[in-house]
Amino acid sequence: MLPTITVDYKKCLDPLSCRKCLLICPTHVLGLGTRVGPRKFKEIYRSQFLVAGVRFEKCSGCMDCVNGCPNNAIQVSF
Amino acid sequence: MCQWCDKYAEGYSRWYFNPANYARKLYKIRKDEGPDLEPNPIVAGGMSLVKQDFIEALDRKDHEAIAKHRHDIEQLAWRVHFGQVVTLEDTLKVIDFIYPIALMTCACRRSMLGLPDEENFTCMGMGPGMYKWERWPDTYRGGLQFLTPDEAKDAVTKMNQRGLVQTLFTFGTPYLGGICNCDYPDCSAIRTTIDFGVQFLWKGHHVAKVDNDLCNGCASCIHRCQFKALSFSATQEKAYIDQFQCFGCGLCVTECPQEAISLVERSSLPALANVW
Repeated sequence: MLPTITVDYKKCLDPLSCRKCLLICPTHVLGLGTRVGPRKFKEIYRSQFLVAGVRFEKCSGCMDCVNGCPNNAIQVSF
Repeated sequence: MCQWCDKYAEGYSRWYFNPANYARKLYKIRKDEGPDLEPNPIVAGGMSLVKQDFIEALDRKDHEAIAKHRHDIEQLAWRVHFGQVVTLEDTLKVIDFIYPIALMTCACRRSMLGLPDEENFTCMGMGPGMYKWERWPDTYRGGLQFLTPDEAKDAVTKMNQRGLVQTLFTFGTPYLGGICNCDYPDCSAIRTTIDFGVQFLWKGHHVAKVDNDLCNGCASCIHRCQFKALSFSATQEKAYIDQFQCFGCGLCVTECPQEAISLVERSSLPALANVW
């Protein structure tokens, strides 16, 4: 069964500095992506990184990320 | 026979020993040739080829759809960007004839662990493209460290000792432009290959083999395997290697204090000669 993992980007503002959810997830589901992608001559700023459930097929539903997020920004549902 | 050797070795014993493959198609991935992919945070860490519909097909065990997705991803990856596992010995041979070599930060680990740049210099770029790498600010994050051949060998050897697998990657096949030092689960190449059965990372030219007479069951090799090929037989109290799953990197070989594990040529084993 696949989960729906949502992150409230109004609450999660600097994931590259925080990275609590990345390190807490036992199956390394969460990752940092951007909406801009790598582009020639284009810098990607820290503020453009977003947490997402990149490897969501490995999510067991333990909710460690939901409970561990200091900003209450992550929701997981099945 | 490795199909890349078949096509691109041109008389050398392996395709990655042919110097032409480090210069011939230098950065020739044109816009119409490369994948046309929209930036999307959900596919961070080089997982852009694995889309939601493929994962859903896997989840509902739709074998026909799975096969089609795998085929499409592989065809694109093999044309543009894929890797092959290489032993430390072969990597050192490559470093002997490739210049320049530069150490850079690993995009996979930045994506999956948010690893700070100063802890993340595990990726190596090769060839003249390195001189203008700042054109790609995202991969230039943290800067580049140019290495002499001896420094490069030392860096690769230390990463091998740490337990990272050496892999060579194409950037517009057959142009080889990167030596990656990978581990599961944060390397997206290993993860795509092992978790999704997509042949994004090819097995190497060797296979590991345990000598049960020499193995004393100390289990110091077990943590070295990044490909889920190595386990410990509780009954026999010996290391067990699934040779069909082995990628031939040699990490378990160097860790064995009894010299009980050896690397044999894949081509010497009839059943494995075409298992890539």
